[in-house]
Amino acid sequence: MLSLTTSLAPLVLAALLGWTGAVKVFSRGTAQLAPKTVLARMLRSSERATTVLRATGAGELLIAAGLLVVPANPVPGAAVAALGAGFLAYLGYGRAMAPESSCGCSASEDTRITWRAFARAAVVLIGGATVAVAQGTWWSAVSERPGGALLFLAGAAAVLVALSADLDRWWLLPLRRTRLRVFGHPLLGTAAGNQVPVAASVELLENSLAWQAAAPVVRSALLDHWEDDGWRILQYSGVYGDRENARPVAVVFALDATTGRDSGGDPIVRVSYVDADSGEAVAVDELNAVPSRRNLPMAG
Amino acid sequence: MTVRHDRADGMRRRRFLTNAALGGATIIGATALGGLDAEAAFAAEPSLDPAIAKSTFVEGRITGITGSILEVAGSNGGHSRVQMTNVTSVWKVRATTAEVIEVGDGLYARGVKMPDGTVAADAVWVNIVNLDTQIRGIAKNRLHLAHGQHELVGHVAPDASASYAGRALTSDLSRLRIGQSAQVLGAWRPSDNSVDVVRISVGH
Repeated sequence: MLSLTTSLAPLVLAALLGWTGAVKVFSRGTAQLAPKTVLARMLRSSERATTVLRATGAGELLIAAGLLVVPANPVPGAAVAALGAGFLAYLGYGRAMAPESSCGCSASEDTRITWRAFARAAVVLIGGATVAVAQGTWWSAVSERPGGALLFLAGAAAVLVALSADLDRWWLLPLRRTRLRVFGHPLLGTAAGNQVPVAASVELLENSLAWQAAAPVVRSALLDHWEDDGWRILQYSGVYGDRENARPVAVVFALDATTGRDSGGDPIVRVSYVDADSGEAVAVDELNAVPSRRNLPMAG
Repeated sequence: MTVRHDRADGMRRRRFLTNAALGGATIIGATALGGLDAEAAFAAEPSLDPAIAKSTFVEGRITGITGSILEVAGSNGGHSRVQMTNVTSVWKVRATTAEVIEVGDGLYARGVKMPDGTVAADAVWVNIVNLDTQIRGIAKNRLHLAHGQHELVGHVAPDASASYAGRALTSDLSRLRIGQSAQVLGAWRPSDNSVDVVRISVGH
């Protein structure tokens, strides 16, 4: 198994470097991505960062070709190890200097520097060191044990895909979608039935004429809420009157606990100001004088 | 019986206020005025409402709590003192009381400036965040969200609500789909940088 690993490692690394290198060199996205990388900050120029990213990509392609053609030669392996060490150092620097920036690892998408980027760079480093000391060639390993080789390559590919954050949308999201389809939506039925949430009552209140009438008095946001006999009571604090006549009041609204903005009809709200000190109702006549404003009936 | 000094006796106070509300004026009709809550405060346009015009806003991290005064370090420098009163509304995931406010929390407060420079708060919103996200995963009690390059976990409480295509808020979260763009109003958890999802709007 060990000999299989060492002799097939060049193939895996060549595939990885060939992919990331080709994306860096040929993708138009490289120029758009470059300004977001730590590299641009290090070099103080996004043009230079683009050039360096493309040059790195070209280097990766060259090394990939070397790995494929002369796998028994220690030079490509050493180059891969050096590249992996360089990536690790770069990621460490980026993580310390600008954790928000993109790593530019495969230059195809905005990928934040996470543990996965580090793990992938470490795989490159270890893989490079392994290849540098390996003796056999990958083609002889494949021809000798095709079944084992296939299994190893599939496993290695799975590991590398899992470590590449920019491939998530090709496998992770579809996988999660499938899980929802098979096992059902996990948030189905977690809510308390068809009950109208308090937020919906607040939303209905804020779209009501009662709110418009009381808004100049209301000062706080929602202070407390509870339900009583089918009513939802929403309590606010406020100040009624101005200057020396100003007095603190509790503003209480009562709404049907089963209606929301989509229930249809006009919102019906009961409202009262209660003096915070005496507990007496304030401005009863003023509130009673607010005319109702019903929606125009729909034609047809 | 007073409303203000009766907070300990919650049930009796609620009973009393319920009767007051049900005995109050009945007003029928809709308006597009909207709220004066945190979302309204986030809006760029200044409000024409006279209650808002007199208000000042304080925003930042809480660096200390002395009695009922919160020391706040503003995000853009500066320092404010926010005075909590017994009629200050406190929002932290939901309407709650001042006891849940902790040092290190983010704060957004609306209030009136006092002569001594403190701000007497009418309303405070603790750790409130408003994020444009993409839903990347859905689990029993949490959502995986992507906000720009950030991956973040959104904890879903039983009282979280959702709005689909501009419709009214509902407690039914089962119509959320992976890959959707979602606006999340929630509370940031400073300890692990995750978010408590309070309201999630999709399909706008």
